[in-house]
Amino acid sequence: MDLVIDEFYKSIPKKGQEVCGDNVEIIKNDQETIVVLSDGLGSGIKANILSTLTSKITVGLIDKQLPLIEIIETLIATLPICEVREIAYSTLAVLRLSQDGTAQIIEMDTPSVFLVRDNQIKEIEMQERELRGKTIREAEIQLNRSDRIFMVSDGVIHAGIGALLDFGIGWQGFARHVEDVVGRFNDLKNMIEKLVDICLAYYLMEPGDDFTVLGLSFRKKRKLTMLSGPPQDPKKDEEVVFELLEGPGQKIVSGGTTAHIVARELNQKVESTFDYYDKDVPPLMKIKGMDLVTEGLLTLNKVTDYLEKHKHGQLYPNGKDGASRLVRMLLASDYIKMIVGRAMNESHQSLNLPLELGIRTQVMNRIAGCLKKLNKDVEIIWY
Amino acid sequence: MKKLTVEVCIGTPCYLMGARELIDDMTELQNEYEDKIKFKTLHCIEERCENAPIVKIDGEIYEEMTPDKLREIILERI
Repeated sequence: MDLVIDEFYKSIPKKGQEVCGDNVEIIKNDQETIVVLSDGLGSGIKANILSTLTSKITVGLIDKQLPLIEIIETLIATLPICEVREIAYSTLAVLRLSQDGTAQIIEMDTPSVFLVRDNQIKEIEMQERELRGKTIREAEIQLNRSDRIFMVSDGVIHAGIGALLDFGIGWQGFARHVEDVVGRFNDLKNMIEKLVDICLAYYLMEPGDDFTVLGLSFRKKRKLTMLSGPPQDPKKDEEVVFELLEGPGQKIVSGGTTAHIVARELNQKVESTFDYYDKDVPPLMKIKGMDLVTEGLLTLNKVTDYLEKHKHGQLYPNGKDGASRLVRMLLASDYIKMIVGRAMNESHQSLNLPLELGIRTQVMNRIAGCLKKLNKDVEIIWY
Repeated sequence: MKKLTVEVCIGTPCYLMGARELIDDMTELQNEYEDKIKFKTLHCIEERCENAPIVKIDGEIYEEMTPDKLREIILERI
């Protein structure tokens, strides 16, 4: 069975701060997913810079195939110690998860990861070693396909301090919530959202520290086929629609004229709606049998904006508009087949649109480029 | 009584040229005259995109529509 690794995180800044002092860096390739979570000392911009430095350097060195322990040793030796508090300035948690389920974990001054197996927290046996005066915990484990892993910064363990609890919920306390949430939700994104809400509630919605919840799990590969634009040769309308129907997974149609072609070939009607949720994105349409039917150019340009900003592991935009929906479906898929028609749209010629906005092939190429960067398998078929 | 059918095109050119404002206005008008107006959206009316936004009122096509003009025409016809 084709499995892929899914990962999501959410970071919340301390109350009153605009940026979070925790930082997550994720790199993915066909063989493995590497996650680095770092929590900078203090909060605000300074903490953010510290944690970003730490996680970026770590991820960069891992990408250069250096052994993890060597990387951490270099980090401890080179990164400065806070003058005021005389402690190393950020924490580090690294998880290296292979496609075959082998996980290597390394932790420095950070709460232990949570492994959930059969809806129960399972303790991981960690080895400890001293490295330049710091205690490093490490483990190598074999994960089952249904296992889930959660990583958190200490703001999660301390949730409640200054609000509901004197000493925070602690590792065990949070572990109970993890078990509960994993038992109640199926979707990893929803689990992360729920766990973040729980921490916020302990803090009475005013977090006393930055905090991050990150989760990883395996899932089956998802596929999607998308059609946008009428073919250059109108005689190929039927062929294009056939290609869409034969394509794997969910079906998306983007473009008014394209929608009409699909409907005509399928003997269906295009149903237009008039609810728009974002003023830049025209309302959705409906065609029986299609999972999503959107307007073309404006929606696709907005999709490009979203995708260009998206980083591995970030939660998806939750808007109800066509572009947010399309982005969610693209991000949730691993294989994306794009069928792109290159006919010149006469109706757009009168608008004198800027070149980059007006050319569908360019927009679709940009979307495909973003998706490939996010490690998705993209195939474009031009008509 | 037969309702007046108002169809606003929401193709890309029409949307860019102001169909959204027409939708806002129509939603408001429909709430006001629920028993007299039937409001719909549709796609690309007879390729008149160069004169967007296009509105069809009981089958009759109006070009370069603005919310004020649309309101005036509708109020005259109901």
